[in-house]
Amino acid sequence: MKKVSLTKILRWIFVFVLASFAIFPVYWMYNTSLTSVGGLFGGQNLIPRVKDSLQIFNVFFTEVPIWRWLRNSAVVALGTTISSLAMAVLAAYGLSRFRFFGKGLLGFSLFATQMLPEALLIVPMYALFMSLGLLNGFTGLVLANTAFVMPVAVWIIKSAMDGIPYEIEEAARVDGTPRLAVLTQIMMPLTAPSIAAASVILFFDGWNDFLFASTFITSSEKWLATVGLASFLGEFVTPLATVFSAALVFTIPAILFFLIMQRQIISGLTSGSVKG
Amino acid sequence: MPYFFVGAATIYLILFTSIPLLRGFWFSFTDSLLLAPTEGKFVGFENYRRYLTDQSFYSSLWTTIVYTFVVVVGAVSLGVISAIAINEKLPGRAIFRSMLTVPWAVPGVSVVLIYNWIYNYDSGVANQAVRALGMGQKGWLIDPSLGMFSVAFASIWKVFPFIMLVVLAALQSVPEELREASKVDGADRFSAFKTVVIPHLMPTIRVASLLMTIWSIRRFEIIYLLTGGGPSGATNTIVINVYKQAFESSELGRAAALGILGLLLSLSVTIVYFAVDRKNAKRDSL
Repeated sequence: MKKVSLTKILRWIFVFVLASFAIFPVYWMYNTSLTSVGGLFGGQNLIPRVKDSLQIFNVFFTEVPIWRWLRNSAVVALGTTISSLAMAVLAAYGLSRFRFFGKGLLGFSLFATQMLPEALLIVPMYALFMSLGLLNGFTGLVLANTAFVMPVAVWIIKSAMDGIPYEIEEAARVDGTPRLAVLTQIMMPLTAPSIAAASVILFFDGWNDFLFASTFITSSEKWLATVGLASFLGEFVTPLATVFSAALVFTIPAILFFLIMQRQIISGLTSGSVKG
Repeated sequence: MPYFFVGAATIYLILFTSIPLLRGFWFSFTDSLLLAPTEGKFVGFENYRRYLTDQSFYSSLWTTIVYTFVVVVGAVSLGVISAIAINEKLPGRAIFRSMLTVPWAVPGVSVVLIYNWIYNYDSGVANQAVRALGMGQKGWLIDPSLGMFSVAFASIWKVFPFIMLVVLAALQSVPEELREASKVDGADRFSAFKTVVIPHLMPTIRVASLLMTIWSIRRFEIIYLLTGGGPSGATNTIVINVYKQAFESSELGRAAALGILGLLLSLSVTIVYFAVDRKNAKRDSL
């Protein structure tokens, strides 16, 4: 009996060390955001002296245009979510419930998009958006991000729909309910958790986009938070406490949503990828 | 009827993925420049010939392979170990699990900001720790022999939770009867684990490793923003190279050719994966 509890304690310590390793950099962001300039050099304290834990929100009252950045990011993130979700729900239903010519090719293409480096496609996309006049605007960012993340949403939602028995919708079809109504009134509510998980992935794909945002956007008025935050790298004017407060305000929503939705996200991603 | 449902997504992918891809392929045979992409002249295989005869291409290819290998091995081992460690009941398990999930949710740019500060030469906490151990100071991001390690470490930290969560989901689907059966047979815990649980996990680990490999080959912002491909080219992967060719040197045609070569790398990994997978499936069914 004694021996069992010893291995248990060792395992607990092991997990504790792993979890500390995982959380430390985020804790360190928080710590730095509460440390004044003088406290940064020659050994930063492991525990910040400042007691006021909400000090990070002071960043909204500094010179950093964090409001504007976050708003711009939110616009792109919402746009990406809405445009991707609309197409993904329809496509997922089509792929899940019909056999048709080209189905295999479409399924393969959806996987193949995962292989394409953004850095390759950004070159012709840049040329395309230049001729369409979509550079330096949010529309271009939404279009580009949608191209890369919409297939992931199709994948997740399709695998959820695959798990819903045909009989459920057949009862409705007998009553003469049109397909589209079957999708919106029966299938979508039944797959709501997966659709929600897909939405989180879609939203934060737009929210986190750096590559397209930094390449397509030229005026700093339209910077997304990612580009704004990256502009702090290598500049030494803004105090680090401010930089990391801004970074935290940008990061916390992502952490919260992923933690809340982690089960749905993982079951969506695994059933989509692992089973083929 | 089915085309009504898949139509929008299909047309979208053709417009914004397939056509740009074909166009990129076309660019790779021209000498197009960034500011006048349509005015390039056809130059045949010239761009490819230049890369394939250039030593720096092979060092970039090698850098990509090393980075990918280190990140995949690191993230998969750490992820599998974490999943196994946290699979059984222990006090505070839910909190630990959340803590272990957090890195995955942290946006890439935030990862870069924090690791840039952790790796800071004079005041970063990494050097604070190393100094306390009496090992002097390390140039985490400026020493060419450490650059790859530092960038790979930050990348592994960010992506290992994905493996952990996927493996955890697979662990929870190990049928209870299987485990019971191995216990009845008198197998001890470790060998039961080896003969029952690990084979059950293998398909999951294989697919997750494939995804991890493809994602590592195309990873951009962590590398680009932490080191920009430096120090002295130590982290100059193909993707970083493509971007610099296009947007710093304005050589659209050359960048496209390099991008296609990078894509061939991902493609060959995927083909090898599916070939091995088929062989395994055949062997399993015998």
